[in-house]
Amino acid sequence: MLIADEFFLIAHNDSRGKARLHPSATGLGLAGALLGELVLFGQITVSGGLVTVVDRRPPADALAHTVLDQLIGESQHQSVRTWLSFLAQSATTSVGERLARAGVLRRQESRRLLRTSVSYVPIDLNVVAWPATRLRALLDRPDPPGVPDAALLGLVSAAGLTREVLWSAGPRAHHRLAVLIPALPAPLRELVAHTEAAVGAAVLRGGP
Amino acid sequence: MPPTTLERPSNVSDALARGRLGVPSVIFFVLSAAAPFTVIAGVVTTGYAVTGVTGIPLAFLAVAAVLVLFSVGYVAMARRVANAGAFYAYISRGLGRPAGVGAAWVALIAYNALQVGLYGTIGIAAEPVLDRLFGGHPHWWVVALVAWALVGVLGLLRVDINGLVLAVLLITEIAVIVVYDLAQLTHPAGGAVSVAALSPENLVVPGAGAVLVLAITGFVGFESSVVFSEESKDPRRTVPMATYLSIAIIAALYALSSWTMTVATGPDRIAERAGEDSVLLIFNLAGEHLGDTAVLIGQALFVTSVLAAMISFHNTTARYAFALGRERVLPAAFGQTSPRTGSPRVASLAQTVLGLVVIVLYAVNGWDPVLQLFYWAGTGGGFGVLLLIAATSVAVISFFARQRVPETLWRRAIAPGLAAVALAVIIVVALDNFANLLGVAPDSPLRWAIPAVYPVAALLGLLWGLVLRRSRPDVYARIGLGAESAAAAVLPEPGQPAPVEAGARR
Repeated sequence: MLIADEFFLIAHNDSRGKARLHPSATGLGLAGALLGELVLFGQITVSGGLVTVVDRRPPADALAHTVLDQLIGESQHQSVRTWLSFLAQSATTSVGERLARAGVLRRQESRRLLRTSVSYVPIDLNVVAWPATRLRALLDRPDPPGVPDAALLGLVSAAGLTREVLWSAGPRAHHRLAVLIPALPAPLRELVAHTEAAVGAAVLRGGP
Repeated sequence: MPPTTLERPSNVSDALARGRLGVPSVIFFVLSAAAPFTVIAGVVTTGYAVTGVTGIPLAFLAVAAVLVLFSVGYVAMARRVANAGAFYAYISRGLGRPAGVGAAWVALIAYNALQVGLYGTIGIAAEPVLDRLFGGHPHWWVVALVAWALVGVLGLLRVDINGLVLAVLLITEIAVIVVYDLAQLTHPAGGAVSVAALSPENLVVPGAGAVLVLAITGFVGFESSVVFSEESKDPRRTVPMATYLSIAIIAALYALSSWTMTVATGPDRIAERAGEDSVLLIFNLAGEHLGDTAVLIGQALFVTSVLAAMISFHNTTARYAFALGRERVLPAAFGQTSPRTGSPRVASLAQTVLGLVVIVLYAVNGWDPVLQLFYWAGTGGGFGVLLLIAATSVAVISFFARQRVPETLWRRAIAPGLAAVALAVIIVVALDNFANLLGVAPDSPLRWAIPAVYPVAALLGLLWGLVLRRSRPDVYARIGLGAESAAAAVLPEPGQPAPVEAGARR
């Protein structure tokens, strides 16, 4: 499972697929995760607030491929914040669809008050609860987690979900999380920081 | 890259351009915080009663002129500042981070004062409406506590009242106020419309400083237009235009309404009538000519206006504390959000608790809610905002003097310079007239205690900033950046907002 998938499941950890994170942070967190996947695949890098494509070969995953195509196709846009805002608009749907294709979630349309809303409901509750449980267990272990898991933890914390993941964990786990993020490889550290800034900016903007 | 890529339609630009705001949306956002009925029925009438100065309409026009001058440099700098919309961000960029922390402390006090002050007026605002509905009304603090609970819950749920609801309320408010004004103009006291209140000598009397601060209080909220610097259709045009227009609309409405009040009562009797009728003055004047329904509509709108202002100031204050929590200048907990709603949970709760403490304090001691809470906290908060605006205009000059950015001399030095001088004069006169402003005896300790809160807070903030510089350089680097401070450590040059390409905003 890729990090955007796991982020999605953590942000919707509920038997009916209801969100536990507000929409703007979910979108930005997922956008960060989609860019993070490409960084982890070695196809892009993030530096000085800009995204640069370093490997144009198509990645195996279809969604990652689409995102990479967008990055290549609109190379006049390089700012991480621009891409986070852009990808955030569609990330919940695109990652939800990817999980539906993988057979983890089922797309469900419901009509309420003349409006059709789409949600993604879990097929197996154990599968959707697993990422959060796994992250919690990772932080209880003394050895540092791998880079993808550390990046996921960084994004979870950037989106403001730390407490939901670590609700039962002790102070040691919180401490491990606090030292983990600064130790991320530079492009991922920067991606996490920009995601956190974008989430905070959305809160400050409020208004219309 | 072939050059054609730049010209072909861009999905990213189009997607991000959708939802960008134009001039009318930004004006609505600014005016919704202005709450015209609260200012005209509440602040202006109490101001006439307390200060006895008839120059209030002129004060609105004079302050508007100064604020337009101030805004020239303010909106020019806004595009280059992270956390635009918070005065302390400008001050920390222009005058240094320690000064920024001092300004942040001042802002927290001033905006909190403006918010809690409103609890003092909701009781008397709701009185006539409750009387009609139930044939009686409870104590002011019962109404205040109901409003307090509503504001607290909405703040936590992050319900910024629906933009459409606000727009409808605002337009109705303005329409009703204009109808009231016309009725007052067509029924002048003594049979002739008197322009005596508009004569400039009304602003060269003792107490003129008081009404200038009062006028500033009426404009608080105009500064929020720049929050949309990045999200507007044309950052170079939309925000400046919306800011100037907002100031002009507010000034015209308030000056007209405060002048017609004097026409209806006669300029020589306005202070006396305002003293007798307090916040009910404009409704009583309207009742004489327009009939019952017009009065009832106005009274209902007064209640919704105060409520909307409370919610708006609550959110502003909570966001200030949230931004400071993100910077770690306040404890990091203030920077947390509630996952499900995205509200700045701790910051919002802290503001709510303060509101409760103040209501209980006034209720237990039996202090006067209108004069001693609404009016004192309102003008005290307004004075704090005046200090912030003055410091910001100096910060704008200093910022442009040090940054080599292309900006006209008018925008980077002359306009903010003129504004700074004018604001300094207002501050000096206001300090001199502070007893008039509060309506206390010239030797009352309150006369110095209330304005002294700000320099003390600014000094403590400054010292705290210096402590941070020595002991926690990582936090020091984040000061003034607001939510952007999360990216402070990875940005190439600390203090610069993330680069935004020209193509991304259209």
